[in-house]
Amino acid sequence: MRRTTSHFLWLIAPAALMVGIFFLYPLCFSLYSAVTLDSGELTLAHLNKAFELYSKDIIFTILIVLICVAILAVLSITIAGIITLSPFRTLSKTLGFLYRLPLFIPFIVTAQMMRTFLAKNGLMNNTFIASGLLTPMETVSFLGWSGIIITFVWKQLAFSTLLIAGAMAALDDSQIRAARNLGASRWRILLQIILPQIAPTIGVAMVLSTVTIMSVLSVPLMIGTGTPTMMTADMAFRINSYGDYHVANALGLVSYSICAVLAWFYLRQNLKEKGAQS
Amino acid sequence: MFANTKMAVVATLSLTQLAVFAHAETTLNVVSAGSQNMVDYVKTYLAPKFEAAHPGVKVNVVGTGPGDAGSHKIMEKLSAQKDSGLNTWDIDVAVVHQQIGGELVKNGLLATYRQDINTGKMVTRDSAVNALGINVDGYVMPMFHSQTAIAYNSDFVSNPPKSYDELVTWTEKNPKAFGYNGIKNGMSGVSFVTGWIYAYGTDAETLSAMPYDQNLAASWDKAFAQLKEFNKNITFTPGNAGTLDMLNRGEIFMGPVWVDMFYSWKEQGKIPPSIKLSLIAPGMPGQPMYYVTPTKAEHPELAREFIELATSPEIQAEGIVKQFNWYPGIDANHVQGKLDQATWNKLFAEITPEDLSQYGKSFPIGPYFDDIKEGYERKVSN
Repeated sequence: MRRTTSHFLWLIAPAALMVGIFFLYPLCFSLYSAVTLDSGELTLAHLNKAFELYSKDIIFTILIVLICVAILAVLSITIAGIITLSPFRTLSKTLGFLYRLPLFIPFIVTAQMMRTFLAKNGLMNNTFIASGLLTPMETVSFLGWSGIIITFVWKQLAFSTLLIAGAMAALDDSQIRAARNLGASRWRILLQIILPQIAPTIGVAMVLSTVTIMSVLSVPLMIGTGTPTMMTADMAFRINSYGDYHVANALGLVSYSICAVLAWFYLRQNLKEKGAQS
Repeated sequence: MFANTKMAVVATLSLTQLAVFAHAETTLNVVSAGSQNMVDYVKTYLAPKFEAAHPGVKVNVVGTGPGDAGSHKIMEKLSAQKDSGLNTWDIDVAVVHQQIGGELVKNGLLATYRQDINTGKMVTRDSAVNALGINVDGYVMPMFHSQTAIAYNSDFVSNPPKSYDELVTWTEKNPKAFGYNGIKNGMSGVSFVTGWIYAYGTDAETLSAMPYDQNLAASWDKAFAQLKEFNKNITFTPGNAGTLDMLNRGEIFMGPVWVDMFYSWKEQGKIPPSIKLSLIAPGMPGQPMYYVTPTKAEHPELAREFIELATSPEIQAEGIVKQFNWYPGIDANHVQGKLDQATWNKLFAEITPEDLSQYGKSFPIGPYFDDIKEGYERKVSN
């Protein structure tokens, strides 16, 4: 018995080492740096400064994330629902192909694309003007918070729809057919049969999207304009402009804390599912 | 049979390997901070010229990224190699920003070399001796000088502002038509804010020289309050390129830009000829990039030769001025003779040499610069 245990330990050693060196060590180091002075004494000065200068940006980040996640949830459930339940095979096939596309485009490319697409005299507005829907004076620029939300939703939609559509496809088809036989509308099947069963997957998709959105630097830098901006841009600014890792790490600490709550939810959900299987 | 073929293959392979080594026995590591165009300049223009003149030497060019952050990376790497007690460091020539250039000297990471090379005497600018209050005499050669200025669309602005005061009045009459990128999205915005403090806070001469007086920043409250008011009448742009993009698309009619970037874009047709430049009073900052060589460079001789080539009048004329639209690093008089009149005129068409010497300022010394940026974060954008 003991031999097998030691074998198992060897098996997980490479992975554990990787996590230790490339994640846990930098994590601890940055947490330590966030609450200590150069001399090594404990201090809250960095956290105070982070809140004093960037509290607006922290709230802005949280709001952006919440709005993005809400829109993402509605859109990806709708798309996944159509793919699963639509009677028009071509429609669901086309959608099934289209929604995956953003998955293969890096964030920075998306940001550059949106930058020329969403600008006041960008591709989108010029198309509206050319088609006679708007006059040049009526156009507005979407560069700023709205552009950030549009970019994040566009990019993350593929990922969350993939997870949710997968979960929907994994459901036992007989339930849906039974419900249909009893006269339930598609809408009702989605809301009362499918959604309650895949709620954990939706949660996981949203948690992972949140963490991704919190960590992206290119989008707020390229699409955001000035202030308020997202926390990643502030962290980059602290380091690039002042060489100040302490306050950057303090902002990181705030960011970790927000994500940690979500990670707890994700892990709990994961364990529950594993527990149910064995 | 198979064994023979195998041996032949192995022999050929090892021969080709040897041949490769024989040709490139020495690698000169050149590390450049700054935007992609600067890395391109070193990689596609300088390196081939140097390799042609030095058979057997391969120039390995690495870019570390735009802005001070790029220079920071170079400093972090050199300090790490110093601290670990290595005998030779793997950077032979570095291209760094002014502020970091000073800090590198202060930390004893650079070698003095200007007196060793022939082009050393051709430098006249003050920035070759003084990097934001730190004496760098002998340690650096300016690669080029870059300047910020206000770009405007002459189709819509017939009478461009000549000073910060006039600019403020102009934005009041034309709300949202002036755009800049704040201070977090690129240096052209930082320059504009620095110029604002020169105009309404403390003059450039005091802020660009030692000693540092930590009480001075407290007197800028009014300047920051005015800037906050000013920001209500303007459009924020996403970055240095973002300002030029918005000028090009006609979304704004005026904004601060880097002069070299402006000319390059104009030449490539990315902005229309109607966009022009104006350097406003009391002045906006600009900065040189420095060629430096670390104390323990692996090939100190080659490094000096590389910098000598890079700062020779021919290269400065052809590469720096003609191809990349930068102001030369060595004295302009040495360069002028190597250029045709048209190219020369183009560089000084919109900003005259008089404007440049009168209104082209240095950046403030490190601590004042931090005060300006943090003051902006605290009092303008907060």
